[in-house]
Amino acid sequence: MSAAQSATPLRSRSRLAAIREAAPHPTRWRHIVSYMLAVYRREWHGSVFSAFIEPLVVLAGLGIGLGVLVGDKAAAITGGVSYVAYIAPALMASSAMNLGAGEAAWPILARVAWVRIYHAIIATPLNAADVMVGAIAFIVGKVAFAATFFAAVLLITGIATSPTGALGMIGVSILTAFAFAAPIVAFSVTQKSDQGFAFIFRLIITPLAFFSGTYFPIENLPFAAQLISWCTPLAHAVTLSRSFALGTPLTYAWFHLGALLLWGVGGTIAAIYLFRKRMLK
Amino acid sequence: MGMTNSAAEPTALIRARGLTKVFGARSAVAGIDFDVRDGEFFGFLGPNGAGKTTTMRMIAGVSPRTSGTLEIFGKDPDLHGSEIRGQIGVVHQQETLDMELSVRENLLVFGRFFGMDRASIATRADELLELFQLSDRAKDQVEPLSGGMKRRLSIARSLIASPRILMLDEPTTGLDPQARHLLWDALQRLKRGGTTIVLTTHYMDEAEQLCDRLVVMDQAKIVAEGSPRQLIVEHASREVLELRFPNGTESIDVKVLEGIGDRYERLAERVIVGCENGEAAHARALEHGLDPESWLVRRSSLEDVFLRLTGRTLDE
Repeated sequence: MSAAQSATPLRSRSRLAAIREAAPHPTRWRHIVSYMLAVYRREWHGSVFSAFIEPLVVLAGLGIGLGVLVGDKAAAITGGVSYVAYIAPALMASSAMNLGAGEAAWPILARVAWVRIYHAIIATPLNAADVMVGAIAFIVGKVAFAATFFAAVLLITGIATSPTGALGMIGVSILTAFAFAAPIVAFSVTQKSDQGFAFIFRLIITPLAFFSGTYFPIENLPFAAQLISWCTPLAHAVTLSRSFALGTPLTYAWFHLGALLLWGVGGTIAAIYLFRKRMLK
Repeated sequence: MGMTNSAAEPTALIRARGLTKVFGARSAVAGIDFDVRDGEFFGFLGPNGAGKTTTMRMIAGVSPRTSGTLEIFGKDPDLHGSEIRGQIGVVHQQETLDMELSVRENLLVFGRFFGMDRASIATRADELLELFQLSDRAKDQVEPLSGGMKRRLSIARSLIASPRILMLDEPTTGLDPQARHLLWDALQRLKRGGTTIVLTTHYMDEAEQLCDRLVVMDQAKIVAEGSPRQLIVEHASREVLELRFPNGTESIDVKVLEGIGDRYERLAERVIVGCENGEAAHARALEHGLDPESWLVRRSSLEDVFLRLTGRTLDE
């Protein structure tokens, strides 16, 4: 402030300090994960159905019921495997989407707008970016946990053909959760009430499950719809997950992985930006 | 952090010069100067919207200032926010507790945010539960606690890392009188233990009871500064005579009012007269032919200071 000759280095040093203040810290976010784990220890029984049971019920219902209907035609659609084996890895990806999206909606909004604990947390050494990174990391971890269970069931029932394939599917579920949770967290931190979630879930999440190659090949859709599908994360997740489950060769693997990562990383950056904008007035 | 700080020891824990916060076209804080010294109980007194909360948010490093200087522990919160926040406990005006966790878990989780290890968090948490008389509710959910208990838990939580400064935004708003007094006692104990406390309030009695020093804020500016006693001596007379006229005060002659005491304020149904001796002033009022429905004499308070400085009462 006083010495004119040191003005430039001082300013650039300040700019660096200001960036460090705003950026996520390499490790502080883990305290948000441990906070959410403390909450989860009390609340886990409430989410057992949606995280573990529901995907299996859907798989059993659709796989067996719809499988009978599809019958001999299945091979033509699936390229030789049973209909259950065809939709199981896709359902695993779409349940990672559902779980990731749900956890990114109400629990986040509650902490921003209702119980407002995020206001208290950003008054500790954690900054807004740490809170967002930790919140997204917890969701991804929770989905990884549910996916491990689902993959184990597929292995035991013989639907998944190899342990390596099952591991690959878990990896895909983790990326899927990341790709959906991050942008939806970004949306949630801008909301004042939960009315906006109806839009997200009815107009985006639910239709995506049908138009991403989950129940039938994406190539059966009109070209324009295919294009839209490839712009969203689930189609990539389904393609990857199915290939891991059935052990079929993958073309464009990096393209699919890149798409999921792009949604996740882009969503995280948006979440940090929008959360700061809301909280640091 | 290995940086050579300037040789001079900072004279104040918090130092603001020309501190300004502008939202769009509105100045929430318009160039204020103040120092908060180590170990003191410092207050921001003023009506809602005076800029107190915004000032607190700037100190807590969650609201970047528009201009001016602000130093906490000699450091700029824009550049060292995380480090500064590690030594400040903040209690918000609205509760920000986690309703799904137990009372004790609320404390444990917060200790982690300050980077404390689990053993010291547990010890500190039990200490604080004891200090704030919450030990027997440690395992309970937060939701059913009374307002006073929730507020005490919020304060306990803010103290988990033994901060050097405790900041409270309107800490007793919405509490019943008994809960208020319990809280005041707890805060005074903390102060005696060496914690520097900064609070905002729009309650005169709270500021008068608790604060060593305070600034009176009105419309984004500081209009007076000093100890409660100093402020009263400087800006108010020794005693106050209040005359009540339920039918209104407009018809009373200015000349009459001027003759009663040193100064007067005419409110809708009351005339407040500042004077040396309230009884004598009352006698003069009767001599001048005034016929109040009721009257009382009291010592001057911060309320009178505020009225004098702004021409308004605090709850207006």
